[in-house]
Amino acid sequence: MTENRIAVLQPTGRLNMVAAPAFKNLVEETVASGETRIVVDLGQVTFIDSSGLGALISALKATRQAGGDLRIADVPEQVMTVLRLTNLDRVLRVHPTVVDASRDW
Amino acid sequence: MTGDYVLEGLAVPESLNLLHDLLERAGREHPDLDAGDLMMFETAVIEVAGNVVEHGRPHGRVTWAFRLSVLADRLEAQLSDSGEEYPGGTWGTTMPADLLQEEGRGLALATAVLNSLDYERSDGANHWTMVRRRS
Repeated sequence: MTENRIAVLQPTGRLNMVAAPAFKNLVEETVASGETRIVVDLGQVTFIDSSGLGALISALKATRQAGGDLRIADVPEQVMTVLRLTNLDRVLRVHPTVVDASRDW
Repeated sequence: MTGDYVLEGLAVPESLNLLHDLLERAGREHPDLDAGDLMMFETAVIEVAGNVVEHGRPHGRVTWAFRLSVLADRLEAQLSDSGEEYPGGTWGTTMPADLLQEEGRGLALATAVLNSLDYERSDGANHWTMVRRRS
């Protein structure tokens, strides 16, 4: 059932100015292919900077504009701290695990 | 300032990973350093350096020198870059009001995790001094 499909993206390592553009492109390609419900599994991300945050915001907007949404899961401590400091925890919905994030769309 | 750790190079995105590596090395060589303090300091350093990469002019040709000192009471670092002077007062240390804005959080984030962030123009270079007291 295509309409229930959820895409899980799993960036790894440092989601910084070096890696953010590729992540942003991946999200745009995913949305363009028709998969507009995206879970970003951040469990393997060791560090995020404001470029990485910008890429997540861009991803959120891209999914919503296409009628979907974006959720983030398994958020490591540094990422969570940065989300709180920037108040982005108010717009990016944090879920403990990918399984949790994949429920109840 | 003197530096226990020094890195010199070109202010381009790829150099940010060398700064990450240097900070990770500092953490390994100072096991008494609180992981949270190092994590927040690394966040600030990468934001300040990222700001230089993005806004330093001439773009792609700015060089920098980074010096880090792990002191008994604080982490202190200075990033000096060869770029043109930054226009005073234009760099933002407050978070954008629009949560869906994709840019403009870097120096605000650095300010939030540091005890002080100072900018000075001297000797034809920009100097960013970052301090975080150890918990």
